Formats: sequence, structure tokens, C-alpha cells
Amino acid sequence: MDFSQTVERISLKIKQKGQSVDSKKIEAKLRRLVEEFGVQPAEAERSVTNELAKEFNLTGIGTMGGGGAGTKEDRSIADIFPGEWVTIEGKVVSILSPPSPAIAQSGIIADATGAIRFVAWAKANAPKMTDGAWYRIESAVVDEFKGVANLKIHSGTAIKPIEEDRALIPSMVRIGELKPGIASVRAKVVQEWETTHERMLQSGILGDESGTVKFVIWKEAGKEKLAIGAVYTIFYVQVDEFNGRLSLNLSTASYIRDEGDIVVSGGDTEIRGTIVHIAPGSGLIKRCPVEGCNRALSRQNYCAVHEIQPKFVYDLRIKGWLDDGKKTYNMLLQRDVVESLAGMTLDAAKELAENNPLGMDEVFLRMRDAVLGRYVICRGREIDNRLLVRLCERLKMETGEHAALLNRAGGVP
Amino acid sequence: MSNGGTPSLPKRDGGFEREPARRVFAAELRECRHQFREGDDEKSPTFVLLPTGERCNRVFLVGTLTEKQRQGDQNIFYRGRVVDPTGTFFVMAGSYQPEAMQQLAKIETPAFVAVVGKPNIYQPPDGAYLVSVRVESITVVDRETRDLWVLDAARATLDRLDALAAGTAPDAARIKEHYPALDPAVFRKMAYESLAQVKI
Repeated sequence: MDFSQTVERISLKIKQKGQSVDSKKIEAKLRRLVEEFGVQPAEAERSVTNELAKEFNLTGIGTMGGGGAGTKEDRSIADIFPGEWVTIEGKVVSILSPPSPAIAQSGIIADATGAIRFVAWAKANAPKMTDGAWYRIESAVVDEFKGVANLKIHSGTAIKPIEEDRALIPSMVRIGELKPGIASVRAKVVQEWETTHERMLQSGILGDESGTVKFVIWKEAGKEKLAIGAVYTIFYVQVDEFNGRLSLNLSTASYIRDEGDIVVSGGDTEIRGTIVHIAPGSGLIKRCPVEGCNRALSRQNYCAVHEIQPKFVYDLRIKGWLDDGKKTYNMLLQRDVVESLAGMTLDAAKELAENNPLGMDEVFLRMRDAVLGRYVICRGREIDNRLLVRLCERLKMETGEHAALLNRAGGVP
Repeated sequence: MSNGGTPSLPKRDGGFEREPARRVFAAELRECRHQFREGDDEKSPTFVLLPTGERCNRVFLVGTLTEKQRQGDQNIFYRGRVVDPTGTFFVMAGSYQPEAMQQLAKIETPAFVAVVGKPNIYQPPDGAYLVSVRVESITVVDRETRDLWVLDAARATLDRLDALAAGTAPDAARIKEHYPALDPAVFRKMAYESLAQVKI
């Protein structure tokens, strides 16, 4: 694991208080906590900062504990929770258009430990803050909105600009460790989806070594689409939770394209199991021919967006459940995978449908009889509990496995 | 059957989760005596407790369909016998499973079949127990699929037995309560004998 950013962040804090620490020493402390004791990186950073602060007898950095209601003591953004009165120092990293006239200004404010959304009520008469500037916000209230902590600036809150320009290195979070709130990530664009709303600029899947997550960008001035397959560093993205699933809203975020590549986890899940169900909508299907749409049409050639499309395009797919006896996976096989597994090409399926009284149903039935109840190995990407299958082959008998099982069963229990 | 579930509903994050199909030999399924439901909701799944220590809402089995029979006048349903190396599964499909019933009606016996279905315990008036499988789907398969299933079912049985012996079986407490006279060695022997019947 690379600790250089964290080390830099910690030594910067110490330097600001007029002390200096050997960065090797900081790294050694971090490495010990993370690698030897399995401490979460964010927690390790906090405890090393606290330890050094104690050593040099510094105040105002790290978390000193204590405080209580109405505290004037500075807090790090990562450590504040709903229901508290806090004083923080941070940099405004994003200004959002206020959703209601009752709100004078809203945006995101960050320090080295994290970031939080702030809301200044019109009634508070607070001075407007500018994007990119540092402020000290005294006696603000932390509350919760849609499960996410929010900093409320009310009439009793004091906002003081901080003149000096401090360096701010955002702490990056791995996708597998995201929580609702504001975070910065480095991720690769894995997949792009058809947009489902006219106000939507782009949606899809982002991934890193630890997992994948949905993202959405809404149409707004200055927002650009992400390039598929490219790696981005995304600062201060809003992490929302809906139905227990996270998604990233990039409208608040700034993102820059990065060099290099990321091996996205879930890129190659392998599951051995049986196909226990073939869902309706499998087999030969019709797709909307409108450029970029590609939705499956109903029997009456109706597309949910583009209405009746008589000049549809045929396609093959199988939607179903793959079951290994312990867990069941929703799986989706696309045309080339279906052709090789079911032994029926798209052309053969079309011909069958056109020359058979049952039409497309006949293709479904034959495909079902050819694959249902069979043992297969599927390789593909697992996203949101659904397995997008890249390769699917019938499982073969292995004599070695048979012998091993005989030994296991015959051995003394 | 008894309904020994806890009153609170299990919380499911992320919505619906399909119950996996357990691999069970006929000789083990036949020994099931306890059926329970977790939670009071009408839709909460019913489980049959397998003697090797796992709850089971759905089974996957492969064997030879040796017999099938149409029954009933107004409510037509089909019964079938599917034979594996250890014994016989009783399967049935009624008008509530029209697709499964049509599939079963079409198959000529004997044939290797793969069945996905839900197990149920019945207790006829004479006091004996009958475990049958309500078919969700049934398809004709080849011998290799049958052999693969025997290996799969043997592996699953041994996994369950190992978990039971190690005390890590999720329903170990239920096993002690409902199958107190159980001898796990019987099922290990059953797995061994099934494997021995597979010719490679």
C-alpha cells in the first residue's frame, strides 16, 4: 500500500505548528498499524496524527476528544456527527445552486480529513463564501439530511475568512469503503448506461480494486462526460444511498482524467453452478433501432421511449438464475455467449421463429430445454448482484475430483 | 407442521434474495421431519430442515424419471418418481405450476431429468411422513449432467456434515432438538456409495 499522500498530509499538519517529523517515521507508524494490525487507513492516519500531536504537545490538530455542546474547539470534518455544535476550518471546494429560496448558499467544505456539505439558510444572513477560499466556521450545527451529515449555518454561526492559502490534499477513499456523504475517489469508468432522463448527462459504473459503484452526472453548465475505460481522480463527490445501495452523484464533484490503469475488482468472477431458471424475455428478442437506445421491445414492437418501432433489430439473450447450492446469482448472457452455449445462432433462431407457429416462443422453449438444469462455469463481471457473463461453458466431469471426493467420503469422519 | 420461527422478520438489505437450491440425495430428503418458517410474514419462506444440518427452501436434483402419473379430475396434477443412487424423490406439479406441469407431461420415461423445486413434508393420516418436491422446472438432461450432480450432491452433503461436526452448522441447535437420534455416519456412507456408483 502507498502511504505517501497520507504521510505528506500528516507532516504538513505538524509543520504548520512549527515542528518537523521525519516522514520515514510517520510512514513506519502508519505501515505498522495498517499492515500489522489491520487498522483502517483513515483510523491509522487519525491515531498517528494524535500520537505526534501529543509528542510535540501541539493543539488544534487531530482529535483531542472532549468538547461538548457549543464547543469552540476546532474539529476535523471527518470526526463530526449529526447532533453536534462544531467549529471547523476548511476550504470551500464546491458551490451548488441552491435548491430553494430559503437557502442562501450551499456547497461542500473540506479539510485534510474529509468533506461535508454545508447549507446556509437565507435567514442566517451569513456572508457568501467563495469557491476555493478557506474559512473558519464557528458554532455551526451538524444535522442529517437523507442519511448524510450536513453542516447547517444559522444566525448564530460566525464565518471568518482565513487569508493564508493552505495546502489541501484530499484523502482518497476506496470504493469498497465508501459511506454516504462526501468522498474523493480514483476510479475507472467500467460501463456506460443509456440515460433514462433528459436532464441526465451520463450514468454508469465506476470501479477500483476494491469494488464498483453506480454514478450519475446531471446536465449542468461545465459538466463533461467521462470517457469509458479511462481512469479519473474525482474530488468531493456526493455519495448517496438508496435502497441500501450507494451511488455517486458527480454534480458536486470536480474530476480530472488520470494516467494509468486500474484493475477493477469483480472483473473476473468465476462461478460454477447450475442454471436453475430462465426468465421471460430470454431467447430471441427485438431491440429498438434508434441510435443509442437498444432497449428490448415488447411483443407489439413498443419501446418505452420511442414507441412503436416496426424496423426492430433481432438479438439473442438469456436472463436467468445461476445457482451454486450456496448462493443464487442473477445472470445475463449476451448474444455470442448464448449462441455457443445453446448451440443456436441468431440467424438460426430468426429462421425458426419465422417458420414456426409458436414464433419467438419456440426459440425460448428450445433454448430452455438446451440449457436449463445444466452445470456450467460462468466468467464475468458481478455488478449489483447481477453477473454479466462474458464466457459460459458446460462443465465437464473431472476424474481427479471424483477420486478426491471418494477419499473424503471414505475417510474417517 | 410446527412453526417455530422467531417473531421478528429477518431484515434484508438490498431487496429480494432468491433462496439457493440445495443439493440433497433422496435418502437424506426422505428423512426430513421438521419444517419451519422464519418470520410471520405471509411471504417469508418455509424451510425443511435437512438432517445434515442445513435449512432448505429449494432443491436441485438430477436422476432418472422412472414413472409419471396424471391425477385428479378438475384439478389435474402430475406425480413422478425420480430415482438417484440412494433412493427415490417424489415430485409433483399441479395447475399452479402450469409450465412445470407441461414440461413433466411431455417427458417420456425413463429419462434423466434435472429438477428444481420446493420440498414439502406431508403427514398422511396413518402417521408416516412423506417428503415430496413441488416442481418449478424439469428438463431432460444427459448422463454426464447426472454424474456431475452426484459429485455435487456428495460434496454438498460432506460440506454439511463437516460443518455439523465442527459445530459451525447454521442450524445446529435445531438439529439437536428435532433429530436427536441422528447418526451422521449414515449420510457419509450414503455419499460414498453414491460416488462409487459413478463410472468414469
